Amino acid sequence: MDLGEGYGSCDGRQIMNWRPYFLIGDLVSNTGVGAVVGLVVASSIGETWWMGLGMAAGMCIGSLVALPAVCLFSVLFGAMEVMLPVMLTGMLAGMLVGMGAAMTMLPGDVAVGIGAVVGLVVLLTTYGLDFYLKTSNE
Amino acid sequence: MDPATQKKWDRAARGYDLMNGYGPEWRWGPYKRWLFSTMAGRVLFVAIGTGQDIQFFPAGQEITAIDISPRMIEHARVRADGYDGRLELRQLDVHDLDYPDATFDKVFTSCTFCSVADPVNALKELRRVLCPGGTIGMFEHTGSRFLPFSLMLDLMTPLMRQVGPELNRDTLANLYQAGFVDVNVELVYLDVVKLIHGVAPCAGGLLEPKG
Repeated sequence: MDLGEGYGSCDGRQIMNWRPYFLIGDLVSNTGVGAVVGLVVASSIGETWWMGLGMAAGMCIGSLVALPAVCLFSVLFGAMEVMLPVMLTGMLAGMLVGMGAAMTMLPGDVAVGIGAVVGLVVLLTTYGLDFYLKTSNE
Repeated sequence: MDPATQKKWDRAARGYDLMNGYGPEWRWGPYKRWLFSTMAGRVLFVAIGTGQDIQFFPAGQEITAIDISPRMIEHARVRADGYDGRLELRQLDVHDLDYPDATFDKVFTSCTFCSVADPVNALKELRRVLCPGGTIGMFEHTGSRFLPFSLMLDLMTPLMRQVGPELNRDTLANLYQAGFVDVNVELVYLDVVKLIHGVAPCAGGLLEPKG
């Protein structure tokens, strides 16, 4: 299948959308949402919290923060390609930072960093899975 | 006509282009252009919406495009007028098409079967109006078999259902259940967004003629 400029192909399957606008958009939306979620969760959860509760609350807060971001970024960068990784980033970053904030005093910049890294990892994982699915024989 | 579905999409018509017209269309455009490049003969396009997909239609075709929402069709009319070919717009419910059996050579859908109330019966109706051996080409988003994504889609569906599509449909299974054969799939994004091709079987008998 030849999809035109900007698309790679492997044995007839398109393997990746390389257009820079979308690559940058994916990166900004995932790391940005992860960073904001990290900051919000770290400032909402104290170190006196039970760790399980911190994780659950962080996950809920992360999802709530990610939801409006999905609406905004999907208008600019695509529907499912934004919604799935960004919502996952919100949940996972919220859980991780929530767990950390319940265990120890987590500085804001560290929470932002953790959130952004989670966003990057989620994005790269979805890229990897997407690549695998398109290149493997099903 | 399903009044609840019609009302929902009438409400969505005003903001539809804003939400879907830029990022999603630009991202998916090459895939849709490729899918629609196979248009030929008598073509039925199901759920034209505000007509965003018309830009990807090959010129010179004879296309009948339907939608359940009159508001959507109002928006689509402007784009349809600019189409270089014959494009007829009609307000119709895909569950209850008023065409005789075997009217069309090809049917196309684009993000349609996430929103249709009864997908299997709607697909059976499409199979009925397709000539034996006629094809269906679908650009659809579906559920996922990967837990984090399927969980996410399941959680988002009750919310999204209020304003638009369902996110966790198994459209591929629905297509088989409706009796299409030679089904093949090309992935667009993960196992969620996909191009699906199916064929209406030449040997009928599984479906009763309408009326």
